[in-house]
Amino acid sequence: MSGANFSKKFIFNEKIDSDYLYSLYEDDYQYIEEIFQTTLAHFDEDYNSIRTAYESNNLLELKKAIHKIKPTFGFVGLPLVQHICKEFEDQCQRAGSSNDLKTEYQQIVTTLAASKDLIATEYNKLKEFNSNFL
Amino acid sequence: MKWTCVIVEDLQVAADYLAKCCEKSGLLQVKGHFTNVEEALDYLNKNSVDILFLDVEMPGATGFDLLDQLAYYPKVILTTSKSEYAYNAFEYNVTDFLKKPFTYQRFQEALNKLTTPAGENNISSTASDHIFIKCDGKLVRLNNDEILFIESMGDYVKFVTTDKKFITHNTIKNLEEKVNRQTFIKVHRSYIININKIDDIRENDLFIKGNEIPVSKAHKADVLKRLNII
Repeated sequence: MSGANFSKKFIFNEKIDSDYLYSLYEDDYQYIEEIFQTTLAHFDEDYNSIRTAYESNNLLELKKAIHKIKPTFGFVGLPLVQHICKEFEDQCQRAGSSNDLKTEYQQIVTTLAASKDLIATEYNKLKEFNSNFL
Repeated sequence: MKWTCVIVEDLQVAADYLAKCCEKSGLLQVKGHFTNVEEALDYLNKNSVDILFLDVEMPGATGFDLLDQLAYYPKVILTTSKSEYAYNAFEYNVTDFLKKPFTYQRFQEALNKLTTPAGENNISSTASDHIFIKCDGKLVRLNNDEILFIESMGDYVKFVTTDKKFITHNTIKNLEEKVNRQTFIKVHRSYIININKIDDIRENDLFIKGNEIPVSKAHKADVLKRLNII
């Protein structure tokens, strides 16, 4: 969001779609750091909502919780994870009970947890980069 | 003077990004951010704003519930991650529909629509074998021979093809000037059809792949002239 002329100096983890990130924020690394920070600050609450809804067999809340967290991943350059969330949201719509989603649920919580670790790692790298170079 | 706006969004990172886009535009003053419909309604019924950036699915009531209960009607830009809501959006006459996350350029396009009459900038190309329509934040190519008909939906139109439907901000009146007139013909104030796709005509209706489309008295003679009746 900083201007038209920018250079891609920071090297993101290959799992992060850096082109996608730059399309949103250009090379405003400080703002990208803020985005990652905000995401991490709210991640556990949203993640726990998913777990609570699943464990209480509340499919409507499960669908709502996954819907809420879904775009988060787009904002941090993980559009594929956003798409995986969309698929799980669709599966919640079709399922009759939490048991119908046992395998898919295990996969999605694993994906979300791994994504959080990745976001946290990138956040720390960005923070260091920004403090050293900006 | 800046437009006043309110952001109704339960995802913090999305609300922050939207606020940043508003600030960057230099055109908007964000008067508040609310994470649920109840708090937003409380504010909006006491304070008038020009523009409402509105998420659809939030805890409790939805963005559409808010619009139902609002005492006045500001310009509305929906922000959601579900493109399915495009079908509801036209019913509420919303100005635009931003799918999260969206680029700043896409945000600017939405702002442009606040001052641009419906459809003025939403279609490119004219008398060729295809058109491009703006749909869901991208330009989608539709070949003329894919399009069965185009239906008015208020400030939006629906392009119906053999296997898909696309909704875009536009009007039949505007499209009438822009589509290939050898292929398309207006048959009713709400319909433009692909002349090559007509299956049959009965009285004041024609049928295209099972879709019944009214033909107005004013257009019927033109339609019949265009058919190869032997």
